This record gives sequence, C-alpha cells and structure tokens, in this order.
Amino acid sequence: MKVSGILTLLIFHLLGEAIVRATGLFIPGAVVGLLLLFFTLLIRGQLSSGLEQSSKTLIGFLPLLLILSSAGIFFLGEAFSDQWLAFAGAIVAGTILTLVFCALLMKLMVKPND
Amino acid sequence: MTELLTSPLFAITVVLGAYQAAVWLYEKSDRLVWLHPTISGALVVAAVLALLDIDYHRFSDAAYWLTFWLGPATVALAIPLYQQWHLIRKMAEPLLLTLIAGAAFACLSALAIAWLLGGSATTLLSLSAKSVTTPIAIGISESMGGLATITASAVILTGIVGIVFVNITMKLCRIDDDRIWGFCLGLSAHAIGTARAFERSPVAGAFSSLALCLTGSYSAVFIPLALQWFR
Repeated sequence: MKVSGILTLLIFHLLGEAIVRATGLFIPGAVVGLLLLFFTLLIRGQLSSGLEQSSKTLIGFLPLLLILSSAGIFFLGEAFSDQWLAFAGAIVAGTILTLVFCALLMKLMVKPND
Repeated sequence: MTELLTSPLFAITVVLGAYQAAVWLYEKSDRLVWLHPTISGALVVAAVLALLDIDYHRFSDAAYWLTFWLGPATVALAIPLYQQWHLIRKMAEPLLLTLIAGAAFACLSALAIAWLLGGSATTLLSLSAKSVTTPIAIGISESMGGLATITASAVILTGIVGIVFVNITMKLCRIDDDRIWGFCLGLSAHAIGTARAFERSPVAGAFSSLALCLTGSYSAVFIPLALQWFR
C-alpha cells in the first residue's frame, strides 16, 4: 500500500472535518470528504493507482473496523430491558420490510441491462 | 494488569484476533450469513469483555487507533463511486425516487412497529435514524431527544439484520441485478450493508456506497422534519 493514496484520503477527510466545523453542517466530516474527493475525481477524470489500491484495502477492512461498535449492542444496560421487544421487533421487521419495499420499487422502475 | 487490559495494545490485539477468528469461521462455514465477520467478530469481542470483566466504553476508547480508520475508509468510498459513475448516471431518476420513498419508509416503518409493540418515546426517537450511518444517526437522534447509545445499537442491529436477510428478500423479489441489490442494501443497512455489498461485486458495492451517502444526507433533513410534524 502506497503512502500517497492514504495521504490523499487523510487530506480529504481533514478538509471535510474542517468544512463541517466551519459551517456547522449536520453531516459527518468523512461524508463531506467523500463527496469532495468524488467531485475532484470527476473533474480530473483520472485515478492514480496508489489511491485506487489504498481505497480497495481500506474498504476491504470495513467489517474489521465495524466489529467494535457492533459489540456495543451487548452492553446497553439494565434500564433498557423492558424496551427490547419494541426495539428488536421494529428493527428486524422494519429492516426486512424496507429491503422488500426498495427492491420492488426499483424493479418497477429499472429495466434489466439498460 | 488492569492497566494492560485497558491499553490500546490489548484492545487492538483482541479486535484483530476476533476478526481473524471470525473470518476463519465464516470461510469454514461456507459463508453462512449468521457468521458474517461483523457479527461473529462482535460476539467474540463481547465474550472476551464479559469474561475478563472489562468496561466496554474504556475498551472502546483504547481501540481508538483502529476505529479512527473508519473516517478515511468512508472517504475511500468515493473511488468505487467514481469508477461506477457511468452506471449510476444512467439511473439517476429511479435512484433518487427510491431514496426519497425508501429512506422515509425505513424511518416510519420502524416508528410504527415500535409504537405498536409499546416502545417508549425515547426508544421511538432513538429508532428513527436506524438506517442511517452511525455518526449522522447519532446527530439526528440526539437533536430530537433520543439516546446516543441506543441509537448506535439500533443502527448496528439494522446493519446486521440487513446482511442476514438481504439474500432471502432479494431472492423473494426476484432481484439479481447488482445495481438494485447494492442500492437497496446500502439504503437499508448503511456501512455494514456496504461492506457486505463489496463482497458481492464492485458494482453492488458502489451502488451501496451511493445509497449510504444519499440516505445519510437526506435523512439528516427528513427525519427531524417528519418528527416535528408528529409531535
């Protein structure tokens, strides 16, 4: 993995954070950085191999980076115990319904291979 | 000894070890959805913390060097987005319509079900941003009076339910198109869904990344407005 790719990602993340702080935006700095980098790439019209490689590596590690926050679900505390049914029910049923809703909606609008 | 157990060295070693074990288990089980590394890895970490009686929040702070990379990894999603832009551009209209209806559906369906099951006002508020990536979700929820810890868990559980049920629901709806598959998963199940979408194909991953960004930005505006209207 090249340093140049990681450096680009860090610089755009930093830019995003700076913009969020300066404007009081409601969106995380990393998402602003993502959008900035995306538009920069669109304008430049080319992608360096170092950046492509670093991006691939980091994205591949996403499940690893998400493990710790996922473990937090086991440590919600006693005060929450009477809310588990509503909490889990809404998430399990709601998420399955959302997947089906979006899939059917898109199927209506998108023709295969167009 | 206690000091060592809450050190970054220990925390990062445990998380990496849990990940390695989880990947091994996942591959060994022929990629059984319930054993996806995000799920089984979290179980291993939780088991270690429970066994050694370590406080989750202190442990989580100690592993900051690792979780720090979530930021740059989010920025890195710009690259697949750029590489698949020619496909995304052609579908702008259905993607936007699905975003507007789908993200609203994700929020309102959770609220309705939780309300029917007797959830408290705090639980409902904390659930409203469940399909939104964690940092945005916590911002939305706290501004409305939800609790950050419950919100974060709601987001995570949503991601897990999303990757566990994506195959079944897409098969049920007869969806085989990677663009639709990825966009639906990213919209419903944010970063965890996006990590899973990249395992399917670069196209699914790019469409999932797109849905992740759009759902986050749109929900940051939509959810506070919708909840204000309900009060």
